[in-house]
Amino acid sequence: MTTLKVEGLNTFYGKSHILHDVGLEVREGEIVALLGRNGAGKTTTLRSIVGLTPARSGSVHIFDTATTDFPSYRIAALGVGYVPEGRRVFPNLTVEENLLVPLERPGPWTLKRVYELFPRLAERKSNKGQQLSGGEQEMLAIGRALLLNPKLLLLDEPSQGLAPLIVRSVFEVVASMRAEGISVLLVEQNVRAAVEIADRVYVLDNGRVVHEGAAAAFAADEERVRELAGAKADAFDEFD
Amino acid sequence: MTQVILFNLLNGLIVGAFYALMALGLSLILNLSGVINFAHGGFLALGAYLAYSLMPTIGFWGALLLAPILTAFLGLAVERLLIRRLYGRDPLYSLLLTFGLAFIFQDGLRYVWGAQSVPYQIPGWLASPLSMDYFFLTGYRVFMMIVVALAVAGLFLVLGYTRLGMRIRAGTLDLDTVSVLGVNVRVLRNLNFGLGIYLAGLAGVLAAGMLGLSPTIGDQLIMPSFVAIIVGGLGSLPGTLVGGLLIGVAAGMTTVFFPTATEAVIYVMMALVLIVKPSGLFGDEGRLR
Ligand SMILES: Nc1ncnc2c1ncn2[C@@H]1O[C@H](COP(=O)(O)OP(=O)(O)OP(=O)(O)O)[C@@H](O)[C@H]1O
Ligand SMILES: [Mg+2]
Repeated sequence: MTTLKVEGLNTFYGKSHILHDVGLEVREGEIVALLGRNGAGKTTTLRSIVGLTPARSGSVHIFDTATTDFPSYRIAALGVGYVPEGRRVFPNLTVEENLLVPLERPGPWTLKRVYELFPRLAERKSNKGQQLSGGEQEMLAIGRALLLNPKLLLLDEPSQGLAPLIVRSVFEVVASMRAEGISVLLVEQNVRAAVEIADRVYVLDNGRVVHEGAAAAFAADEERVRELAGAKADAFDEFD
Repeated sequence: MTQVILFNLLNGLIVGAFYALMALGLSLILNLSGVINFAHGGFLALGAYLAYSLMPTIGFWGALLLAPILTAFLGLAVERLLIRRLYGRDPLYSLLLTFGLAFIFQDGLRYVWGAQSVPYQIPGWLASPLSMDYFFLTGYRVFMMIVVALAVAGLFLVLGYTRLGMRIRAGTLDLDTVSVLGVNVRVLRNLNFGLGIYLAGLAGVLAAGMLGLSPTIGDQLIMPSFVAIIVGGLGSLPGTLVGGLLIGVAAGMTTVFFPTATEAVIYVMMALVLIVKPSGLFGDEGRLR
């Protein structure tokens, strides 16, 4: 069974052609990193997979179901959790209410377990989403996606704007998804942290896949990592 | 004089409660689906006529219970068959559609029940005054206030404490994210529309007992309901509630002092609010969706 298979995806925003024949695959139990510079098309790829910006051509298969033309809620209902860029926490709802929004798919994740994973959320459960710090919002967005009891989790730049210490704990949580039997597609600008937990990587540039391969080999190619990580490389040394 | 003031204050409160009930339904629909439902008054009238027709068989209480529910079911069907097709398009389309629906409703009602007003009976014991000194304080008026208060409380309980309500509130700001969390947003919008129409139907059943029943009963309520939303603040349901009561009372009090200005006062209030706080009393940004 394929967990996620994307083939020949072409996505447009109005007239601008953003994704060009993008193809990628996530196999069961894998953590796959999707890397690329600002504007490379990473977010658009995820949005096409979850049906928010449907592709004009190409196909998406999730758990062997052709989901290309599904509305977002049907894709999610198959067991696809999505942590969007910028978290998209509901600002007018409390933390706990945010966690009660997702569809109740049966599975191991309950409110209680999410609070155990993120004790900080339990402390703040009556606070409004808009009162949370960036790190707390990230936890909430991940916890909210987990409550759908996904088998595939898509994360869009979970480390964005977070302090290094919090980035570390977020990545630990993402890495722990493997043990939960959740496959992960991780979009990141934080190249070094991403390749450290990923099995395989894809690199997007200008809406095209320009590299795919094992994460270990990619990590060893210092020149490539530095090129992609750019100015972020130095900032990230703190993580090592 | 005290009597006159009290009379008009009470009148204003009751009329304001109807505005609020209407406006809450309009707001629900506007906030989640971005549709300005001009047919809301038609649904209100339909609720009242259904109650009128049901009363001989199931009595006032049965009609009070059943007519709004039947109206809500028609609302579900209208959303499902017509309004849904226009989501995501220019709001003008849905505006035109609901505007057209309003006319269809009115002529349909005329066709079935006639253009003249019909005798709408409320239980005799409810119609009699509760006190000799305050003859205008009839049981029916008190009863209407109680029912409206219960309906509003019920609405806020649903929105505040059920998953459905949380999803509606979340979807008001970010429906895409609600959808990627697996919530069937088509059903969500459908139910939300039905909920709004239920409130219109209930308002109709109650209002007909006070205002009399003719096919145009919704007309006198719909514009003030839009005003209530704007005064209270777009996007805020508590604001809509307060806005409705406020303009109702303001109109009632104006009747005492400048009877000729009664109709105008709510628009003056709207203008004042828009000048002083364009986002409305409770609105924080005046956003549409
Ligand atoms: N809503 C939109 N309308 C038009 N163009 C868009 C829209 N969203 C993104 N784009 C364009 O599509 C391209 C890809 O954007 P996308 O957000 O997918 O990149 P990204 O790799 O996620 O970048 P970042 O790392 O900055 O998040 C960019 O050139 C961007 O300007
Ligand atoms: Mg992005």
